[in-house]
Amino acid sequence: MALRDVLMAATIIMFVAAGAIFSRRFWNIYQVMKKSRPTNRSDRLGERLTSTFIQVFAHKRMLKIRYSGVLHLFIFSGFVVLLIDVVGSILQLFVAGFSIGPVLGMIVDIWVCLVLIGVVMAIYQRAVIKPERYHGSDETDGYIILGMITMIVIGIAIHESFYPYAAIPVFGVKSAPIGAMEFLAYGLSHLWATLGWTAPRAASIGYAVGYAMDILVIWIFLAYLPYSKHLHVFLAIPNIFVRKMRPPGELVPSPVPEEGIAIRSFGDLSWKDVMDLYTCTECGRCQAVCPAHAAGQALSPKMIILELREALKKELAGGEPIPLAGGVVSQEELWACTTCGACMEACPVFIEHVPKIVGMRAALLEDGEIDKSAQKVLVGWDRQGNSFGQPLKKRPQWTKGLDVAIKDARREPVDWLWFVGDFASYDPRLQDLTRLVAQLLQRAEVDFGILYDGESNSGNDALRIGEFGLFEALAQKNLAKLEEAQYNMIFTTDPHSLNALKNEYVKYGFDRPVKHYTEAFVDLIEGGKFDLKPLGIRATYHDPCYLGRWNRIFDAPRELIKRVGVDLVEMPRHGENSFCCGAGGGRIWMEEVGIKERPADQRIKEALTLEGVTHFVVACPKDVAMFTAAVASTGNEGRLRVVDVAELLAEAAGLGIPDKLVATR
Amino acid sequence: MRILVLTKSVPDLVEELVLDEDSGELLHDEMTYVPSEWDDHAVEEALLIKEDSNADVTVLAVDTGDVDNMLFTALAKGADRAIKLQGDFDLSTSNRKRAQAIAHYVKENPYDLILSGVQAIDDIDGQIPAMVAGLLGMPHASVVTDVRLDGDRVHFHQEYGGGLQAELASQTPVVLGIQAARKPPRYASIAKVRQMMKSSVLEEVEVAVEEVPELEIRRFFKPVAAGHAEMIDGDAEEVAERIVSILKERNLVRG
Repeated sequence: MALRDVLMAATIIMFVAAGAIFSRRFWNIYQVMKKSRPTNRSDRLGERLTSTFIQVFAHKRMLKIRYSGVLHLFIFSGFVVLLIDVVGSILQLFVAGFSIGPVLGMIVDIWVCLVLIGVVMAIYQRAVIKPERYHGSDETDGYIILGMITMIVIGIAIHESFYPYAAIPVFGVKSAPIGAMEFLAYGLSHLWATLGWTAPRAASIGYAVGYAMDILVIWIFLAYLPYSKHLHVFLAIPNIFVRKMRPPGELVPSPVPEEGIAIRSFGDLSWKDVMDLYTCTECGRCQAVCPAHAAGQALSPKMIILELREALKKELAGGEPIPLAGGVVSQEELWACTTCGACMEACPVFIEHVPKIVGMRAALLEDGEIDKSAQKVLVGWDRQGNSFGQPLKKRPQWTKGLDVAIKDARREPVDWLWFVGDFASYDPRLQDLTRLVAQLLQRAEVDFGILYDGESNSGNDALRIGEFGLFEALAQKNLAKLEEAQYNMIFTTDPHSLNALKNEYVKYGFDRPVKHYTEAFVDLIEGGKFDLKPLGIRATYHDPCYLGRWNRIFDAPRELIKRVGVDLVEMPRHGENSFCCGAGGGRIWMEEVGIKERPADQRIKEALTLEGVTHFVVACPKDVAMFTAAVASTGNEGRLRVVDVAELLAEAAGLGIPDKLVATR
Repeated sequence: MRILVLTKSVPDLVEELVLDEDSGELLHDEMTYVPSEWDDHAVEEALLIKEDSNADVTVLAVDTGDVDNMLFTALAKGADRAIKLQGDFDLSTSNRKRAQAIAHYVKENPYDLILSGVQAIDDIDGQIPAMVAGLLGMPHASVVTDVRLDGDRVHFHQEYGGGLQAELASQTPVVLGIQAARKPPRYASIAKVRQMMKSSVLEEVEVAVEEVPELEIRRFFKPVAAGHAEMIDGDAEEVAERIVSILKERNLVRG
């Protein structure tokens, strides 16, 4: 049989075999997805398309780690460009005399080089740089794929360069010599001539080897992919396309599953969750930004995804199902999460880690398993509506120290309704600050009021602990009171309350405007309500997770800080890449298990690397508590002061600051 | 093995007790009631025994008007049945009368093991388990931990003063006042409690209680704040001297 027939037969047979393996695998995955929970991912199609385009072709998230992003862009674009070669090479084999022409040929040659550069960079990264984020990933798989890619692109150059010499013996057609435009094939074909490998036999072997390395390895690649992390080659783009487009801060969108949010088995995942598992590339960017992981705790968002994927694979292979919460993923991992969302922000393929973690927490909670201090808080929210174990009636007690009484928004109409939140209301360390905010509002002549003991905790953290029922009960209580009140806007000092009011109450039909105090104060400054004297200090600002990442409010606090004459210096991790204080998702009440270095302590150290920065500005009551403690525990009391933005504004506006507050001077 | 757990609700001490200043009566209806903490431990211990040895757990409360949520919570945690004793009861019903009602019920419906919280904030001397046992003529132990079944015998630990602990065994039936469960009481999620409300029923049992001897409470008083603590400064000598002089002033030492 002629060599050409052998190659043609191999191409067809291997394609059919690889295609069958590939389709079977996809069919299995599709079956799992079909049985999982529904989720609507076809809203806002235009935006979906644009953002998919930006993430895929401009590699927006990938390039956050420049080195990896660039090497991946080389290899990824190679996949697109090399499609030309796949088509061209196969056609050349089946249609004697076919050629893609010198221009496309040159493009292919350029990308062969780029892919090879990418591969070398990737190997250097894995073998020499060894980023911590790869810890726990399947590195062998990584090398196998890199090896295959190398073979494929080298194969392209080899069969192209042998083609002119092999055209007559293999195809029986004459071929023109390769032009200099196809520089790689051109150079190599000259090399073969120098080596004397241009005789029919040598050229035929050279061509066949090159073709096999190219096309036949591609088919092997196709069959191997669905069993490796490199399934992302096919799933990443669709997964980015079906990403969550609703407000980021909304953890549980409507309609809430009737059976609750608990994730016990794979059937409790949504189809997007299942797709997430197979899309994960094990790049570990989530692990690298996870505060729990950085603290030395058991959690890595990447490992959660990998553990789930492994368990699903075993189950599909006929294994006995293992409970996901507390079985496949350990309790320690699940409770370590602060729900800061850094993992989801970092993931280049838009995997949603936090909803899965919270769903599994809900399953643990239904079985009565929860940290005992956090359990007390849940009971406190249920009974008294606050996390401090304090009577409901004491909620408005902080108002006692004010000269002018605050309006009761339940009794009279107000312009701004201030939703105060638990910490600002009850924490004795923060009550001075709360009063200061009230004085600022009074100074600006804002017509505002509070709900007094009609306010309950917003339920944001209860939901993130996994206690949906309690969240709902709290939400209903607050909504009933908000219904009674007359107001134009809700104003809140607490990002966690802000998130619930803005994103989680929507499912109960609530859609009133909600503003964080930083936004509202900027408006007041714009309106000329304060006479500000520049403070002339150098400070850095910490983005609270529930203000920044989950609600995309990055500019207002910075604007406010600049308006009071503060020289703002950013920490390396800021804005959407901010590093959690460690308090969110109910962590603030849980025992610190396995923590080597608290996230808040790490954050303070990060701030201390900034030259001349004397103040650490926060915009969340929990942050005041967390970072004041962190400054003390790292022994930096003399070097860095934690201040709330409200304190800065009060100081600049010439309001007297109580001694107990961390004054700016 | 059939286990009965006696539960009751008590005023939530996080909130203030509401007192009618004139009559000195507790205004029960204006206070919030929560499950008694020690009863939570008794329920937990019963559920742990059930997990160990396949017992059947029934929780019981005298229907004082607000016990449904408490019973459904116990069901959500894993109890098999819940009984509400109905009759002439309200939040002010004395422990003595409650014990009588429980004893009547148990006489008709025998159980092998009866657990109760060792005490409650309105039953600090732990009368309920002792009275129930006395009325039924059953053996009883209080301040008990670590209850385990061994055939038809029950093994448990009892705490004594001075850090002593005894390991005891008893035949059944027996009444035990639980000091603390082996593990902290588990959490019952709101959703699960709601689900129980939909899917299960509380068995209502009518009991008639005869006149029983009861304490007559004349009135309650709110505690009166009586000045502040005095901080004693100085070195050890001076502090000791001051303490002695205070004790003498108050006639607390002789000499």
